Amino acid sequence: MHELSIVEALIEQVQREVDQAGQHGRILGLELVIGHLSGVNVDSIRFAFELLAPETILKDAELRIDEPRAICRCHDCGQLTEIDELVATCPRCGSGDILFEGGQELLLQSIELEDN
Amino acid sequence: MKIIAAKKLLKANDKYARENRERFTASGTYTINVVGSPGCGKTTLLEALMENLGGRASPAVIEGDLASTIDAQRIESRGIPVVQINTEGACHLDATMVAAAADGLDLDGIDLLWIENVGNLVCTAGFDLGEQLRLVILSISEGDDKIVKYPTIFQKADVLVITKVDLLPQSDFNLQRAESDMKHLAPKAKIFQVSARQGQGIDELADWLLRTSHGE
Repeated sequence: MHELSIVEALIEQVQREVDQAGQHGRILGLELVIGHLSGVNVDSIRFAFELLAPETILKDAELRIDEPRAICRCHDCGQLTEIDELVATCPRCGSGDILFEGGQELLLQSIELEDN
Repeated sequence: MKIIAAKKLLKANDKYARENRERFTASGTYTINVVGSPGCGKTTLLEALMENLGGRASPAVIEGDLASTIDAQRIESRGIPVVQINTEGACHLDATMVAAAADGLDLDGIDLLWIENVGNLVCTAGFDLGEQLRLVILSISEGDDKIVKYPTIFQKADVLVITKVDLLPQSDFNLQRAESDMKHLAPKAKIFQVSARQGQGIDELADWLLRTSHGE
């Protein structure tokens, strides 16, 4: 359950970002990017956010999470296939000479603030 | 208005990890983050490797556990400097814990620092500790499907050590499958097969680690 510590770190990071931008408006939304292979469970992030946000600057923030998929690159046929689960062979030609790429993102993409 | 941050979450951890890495490099301390499930044989492998390396390295160990000092006592009984981190429930070590533990060690006199992470294949994947090498252990008794089921940690490994190979005759573990899955996820990772109990493969792994720590 390290999602709880990730959300704790997220709250601190948002605070720093708005301080740096010199903004004090209400925070209405947050966009995160959490890749399929990041090892972070999106449902657990939402649960941890519901637990922790009410006491913080994120109490009015809506959480939007983009979940990019991983890509299977085949060295035989050159096909790039988006995958949700790891596969043993290329979904197109069946070759075992494949490599998984991407899907590891764990990003704070943007913060939406109320206009003053 | 919208602030576009586009920054990594856990940025704070990455900052401390960078500081740790600079500190380890400055003191000439090669640092290895050892990750694996509970019971995969992390401590037993460390004991076998340190025994094998003997006077060829000046090691120390940072032990991460939820509770207890059992593993630290095992290391200490060998006369090797050890610092225990009890995470009190946290499922992984982070860079600040390692920084605090390193304060308790004389880094200038240590050329090989092992960080034995909390037994966990999920949460440990997200936290850079400032190590130079990430060594992931998979034991025969866990089964050959774990690389595909827990891809993140294996994808981020520099070395995969398959332990307890003396149990292969009693197991349906398919070595070929495990090695093939690993090559798809982390084509650059080195793969070793060892039995820490019986000594198989330990010479080869210890020699490779020593050479790698010397930048060869």
